[in-house]
Formats: sequence, C-alpha cells, structure tokens
Amino acid sequence: MVKKRFTPEVLSVSERLRSFGEVVLGYDYETSVREASRCLRCPLWFAPCSKACPLKVKVPAFLEYIVKGDLEAAARKVYEDNLFPSITGRVCPQEWFCEGNCVVSKIGESVSVGLLERYVGDYARENGLDEKILAEMVSKNSGVKGRVAVVGSGPAGLSVAGWLRLRGYEVVVYEALHRPGGVLAYGIPEFRLPRSVLDHELKKIENLGVEIRLNHVVGKTVLLSELTSEYDAVFIGSGAGTPKLLDVPGVDLNNIYTANEFLTRVNLMRAHLFPEWDTPINVGKTTVIIGGGNTAMDAARVALRLGSKPVVVYRRDREDMLKTARRDEVLHAEEEGVEFKYYLQPVEFIGDENGFVKAVKFEVMEPLNELDQRGKKKIVGTGRYVEIPADAVVIAIGLEPNRVLMEESGLRFNEDGTIAVDDHLMTSLPGVFAGGDAIRGESTVVEAMADGKRAAEEIDLYVRRKKELA
Amino acid sequence: MKEDLNDQDYYLEVEAPHVTKHWKPGQFVIIMTHEKGERVPLSVATINGGRVGMFIKKLGKTSVELYREFRVGSSLYAVSGPLGKPLKLEDYGTVVLASDAVCGHAEQLGLAQELAKLGNKVISIQTFKTEKEVYPEKYLTTKYADEHYITTLDGTAGYKGHYIDLLRELVARREVKAVFAGGALASLKKLAEATAGLDAKVYALVRTIMVDGTGMCGSCRVRYNGVIAYACRDGPWFDARLVDWDDVLRRDARFKKIEKIALEKYLAR
Repeated sequence: MVKKRFTPEVLSVSERLRSFGEVVLGYDYETSVREASRCLRCPLWFAPCSKACPLKVKVPAFLEYIVKGDLEAAARKVYEDNLFPSITGRVCPQEWFCEGNCVVSKIGESVSVGLLERYVGDYARENGLDEKILAEMVSKNSGVKGRVAVVGSGPAGLSVAGWLRLRGYEVVVYEALHRPGGVLAYGIPEFRLPRSVLDHELKKIENLGVEIRLNHVVGKTVLLSELTSEYDAVFIGSGAGTPKLLDVPGVDLNNIYTANEFLTRVNLMRAHLFPEWDTPINVGKTTVIIGGGNTAMDAARVALRLGSKPVVVYRRDREDMLKTARRDEVLHAEEEGVEFKYYLQPVEFIGDENGFVKAVKFEVMEPLNELDQRGKKKIVGTGRYVEIPADAVVIAIGLEPNRVLMEESGLRFNEDGTIAVDDHLMTSLPGVFAGGDAIRGESTVVEAMADGKRAAEEIDLYVRRKKELA
Repeated sequence: MKEDLNDQDYYLEVEAPHVTKHWKPGQFVIIMTHEKGERVPLSVATINGGRVGMFIKKLGKTSVELYREFRVGSSLYAVSGPLGKPLKLEDYGTVVLASDAVCGHAEQLGLAQELAKLGNKVISIQTFKTEKEVYPEKYLTTKYADEHYITTLDGTAGYKGHYIDLLRELVARREVKAVFAGGALASLKKLAEATAGLDAKVYALVRTIMVDGTGMCGSCRVRYNGVIAYACRDGPWFDARLVDWDDVLRRDARFKKIEKIALEKYLAR
C-alpha cells in the first residue's frame, strides 16, 4: 500500500500574496481515486474515522464509491450524513477527527478524507447533483409537519434548517447581518472558503425551501417570545459572537483590532477592495497577531494579503499551537512567510503621539513540566520583557457567546455565558433548542453542523409529540 | 422621502416596518446603501407607521452618495435594527435635552415625546453654528418641549453661544434632574466636565465607528467606568461622566485619513 498521501495542487506562494484566491486547489479525478484507494475499508461498525466524525460521515463507504468511479453514489453516501461536504472538506480540522483516527496512520500517513470529501462535494455542486439529491430527499415527505424558526444562519443554523426541511418542516432563518453564513461569511477568509462556494451552499439551502430573513436581530427586531408563539419550535444558533479583549494597558489604542473586527472588515465588508467597496481598514508595515488558533492564522494571512508583514505571537510553543489551529493553516502561514514568535505574553500596548499603536511589550514565558486540563504545557513568566514594533495589532485570543439575545429572553445560561441545554439540546424554555458555539463556546464548524443535525431530530420528536398531545 | 434640513444636513425617511415595530427611544439603526456599502449607524428622528426618519450630515462618501443618488422609489440595500439598548426613562422632574449635530437633534424628537409622556418638564436646547443652519420648524423639538431654545455660535439666532453655555445658566437657577445630550463628541466631553458637580443624571449619546452593530466585532468599544463597553450593545447612551472621552475622541479619528480618500474618489467620479 502507498504510505504517503497524494498531495493536492496548491496556489504558488507568490500568487497567494497577490490575491485572496483559494490556496488549496484540491484533487483531480485521478488523484482522488488513487488517494481513496489507500483506504483499508474498515467495516462501518468499526471505522474509527467515521466514529470520530461529529457528523458520522460513512467515510469508508463513500471512499469505496470514489475508487469505483461512481461519484454520484459517493455524493449520495456523503449527503446521508453531511449536507455541506464542500464546506467541511475545506474547513474541518480533520487531524482531530476522521484523519486523526485513520487506521492507515498507524503505518503511514492517514487517508486525506477531507480533500476527498471536498472533491465529492465539489463534483456534486459543479454537476448539479447536490440539488438533485436534496430534491429527492425532501420529496419523501408529504404535507407540512410544522414550522420552525432558526436564529442565526451560521453552520449550526444552516444545518438544522436543512435537516428540518428534509424532515418535512417549514423553516425560517433569522439573520442579523445583511449576508447569511455567520462565521462562514464574516470569519473564514476567501482563501480558505471561496465566496462562490459559500454562496452556492446558501442558495442550495434556500432552494430547498428555507427562507432566510436578513437584517433581523433576534432580541431586537424580533423577540424570542414572538418566535415561540409563532412557531412550533425555535433553534438558537447564534454563535460565540463576542470577542475577548486583553486586560492590559493600551488595549484601546487605535489600530488594535479584535480578530472579529479585522476579519469582518475584510471577509464580509471587503475592505481589501477599498475604496471600490466602502469599508476601510488600516494596517501598516507590521501587524502583530496575538493568539495561536485558526483565527490567528486567518488574521495573519489576511494581513499578509493586505500588504503588511504579520508576526504571530503565541504564549506557548508550536506544538501546543497545533492543538488549537488546523495543521494545514499553520503550514500555509509558515510557507507564506508569516513570522511566528513563541513563549511571549502581551503586557502592554505602546502608542504614538496620535494614539495609534506603535509597539507591543511582551513578557517572556517559559514552560513548566506540567500539563493543564487541555493537555497544554503550563507556562510562567520569567520577568524578562521584549518589545515588538507594530503598526496594527489583531487580538485573536477567543470569543464568548453574544449577549444580545440574553436580555429579557428568559433563557438560562451557564457560568461561561453559553446557553444551558439538556441532553436533547433543549434550553430552559420549552420548545427552544440551541446548538453550535452558542452552547459550546468556541468550537468547530463541523461540531456546530452536527448539533444542527441532532437538533433537527430532537425538534422533530418534540413537535410530533406536542401535536399528538394537542 | 428626502428633505433638506440645511446646507449639510438632510432628512431621509425609509420604509422599514421590521425596524419600527419594536423601536424605543435611544435605539438606532444601521443602513447600507448598496452591496458594497458600509454599515452606517444612524440615529432615529421619527417613526411614522412603518417608516423610519433619520437626520444625516453630508460628511463622508456614504452620506453624500445617499443624498445625491437616492430618491423616492430607491431602495436601500439593508436597514437593520432597532439596535442598542432602549433608554430606561422615568419621571425625573425637569429634564434638559441638548444637541449640536445631526445625531443629537434626531434623538431629541423621540426623547422629548417619551419624556413628556412620563410627566417630565422638558427643556430643549438645539445649537447651530449660525441662523442659516437652523432646521425648519417641523424638524426642531419645539412642539414637543415645554421650553425650547435655539442657540447659535455667532448669535445670529436665539441665544448666543453653545448649548453648554445655556445649560450652565439654566442649572444655576433651575433644578434640572436629568440631561440627555447628543451630537459632537468634543462637546460631550465638555458637557461631562461642565456637569461634573451637578446633582443630576447626565446621559450622552456616544457615537462610535461600528461594523456589525450587535456586539460581535468590538469596533465601537468605549472605555466606560474603567472597563470596556460596546456602544452598540451596552449603549449608545451612557452616563456622560463615566465615559473616557479622550478614548472616544481618539478612536473616532481612526479612519479619518482613509475616509477622506473615499470621499474624494467618489466626488471625482
């Protein structure tokens, strides 16, 4: 067997720095067949890849169809569990899920499940198969089983909306922004998830009969209580929308952005195309990015494409960074020339006479021989300090749930601000379900989609039971 | 509907029933002119059935474009809201409303009506540079206030001076229990200083640069009572004396240079 995985085409580094074009170009047909042939075809009851997948995609089964050259059958197999293979195939941290558990990885490199899923998803999309498969799935229902309101059109909301439609429900999605997609639209840059792909996936869900109402902030434009009285059930997928800021002096200086602001200005508002698009962004010669997760990688690579030199500063080391950031994004950032500095913790932002940041002061940290709960090395300060010049700073140290909904909704929250749910994903309000980052804090796109899928099942059960009782 | 308020300010009314349904005084809206537009936060001046009326100053590219290219029958790309926290108003006794620019003048209309309804005695002060800039009567707070004063900086109409000057005089001889002020940020900083020892509630409209307007991005953050608050979510009205105005003024200048380029490019088109 082939121990090494087949590598996909990628955009050259020089090309990347000139555009926001997609970096990984994916497999062609021949390579995907060769790569899929590396799968040992574990039986489904055992397959660790499938078990590790939050969506439980039947990996060996769809790979087998690729090997046979039957891409439509492969797509059908994927769609049984995952409505968005073109998205998950691109943004999942596969090394933590399917690929990280692949049996082949014991003797060589794991099978590139992500790239294969993406290949199948793209093939279905480019050949109109996705709409056909979904139309067949939805036609199995007769009549309307109920009406459900969904709050937020990110991964969790889109997923629950899709799965509920397939179960015969009418679904209306309420989105606060002027464009649907949630974090897929404002957070993930185009070089990882092209707009055309996202737009197609959104259209696909709308064509399925899901209505998306834009510019509707639930809790402000529409109240949760109105939704609960108008619909049979409500799903909240409002995400972890509020950025955490550092509590250190100078954090209010100009050109210090939260990652959310920085990425939203570019991804959603297209500030890189200013002034053709109206929203501006300021960077300068050097952009210091604080953090070590996917968002930090995204911000660094966006800064690079805006013509600034990015320096990612993380308070631990590279090994620990790979526990929070997708491996491919770290590798791509490194080969694109993003500079990384480790074991530094910010203690102060230093400004110029006009109130713009000009440098960041860090304390040098060192590891202890001890792990924290998440398996990362504990660190302590050394009392030594360094200064790094910066014309702009992006703080990418995480998010917490958005509190807009909280006010007067009657929902019960956990201490960390996430919405409290029971084993059925139901909140403290009967008939109101929740999933994704709103209940998890910061998590992944695929886990949000898995919540959406499971919530559809729970909502279906709930509504049917409610109607039987009535 | 669109109407000139003076040389630079205009009134714009748009159909947005989803916004008017739950709107309360203190809340704002965000509009986008077209797909490539900015998300611009605006104060609400009037609510007429399902229509939202706003006061806008021809200042940057969006406001100029909106003035020049949109007329009755045009559609805005997006109107989102109501956003921000509604003001929790009560019967304070005597209340002063003060403003010297579009956003403040706009907020006065809703506030005056609501405060009067609650039983307050409402004194309104509206400051303009000169007589020529004074708004047409129907867009002033005159008919909603128990007392209404125009002030002009050059003294060509009404009281000569700024609202802060008149406010100082008023509080010296009257028992003012609450002040709501909006408009230029630099004036609000002075207001906070002028009312430092005053035994009254003093609220200010903190106008900031926003993107999403729902607490997601932190662009609008304000140093408030020592901690970070988001104007879009926790405001836009704050206790004026707890706001770090230097911080607000500094952050307001963030995009000044680059925004000038956008306007120049647009005007040269």
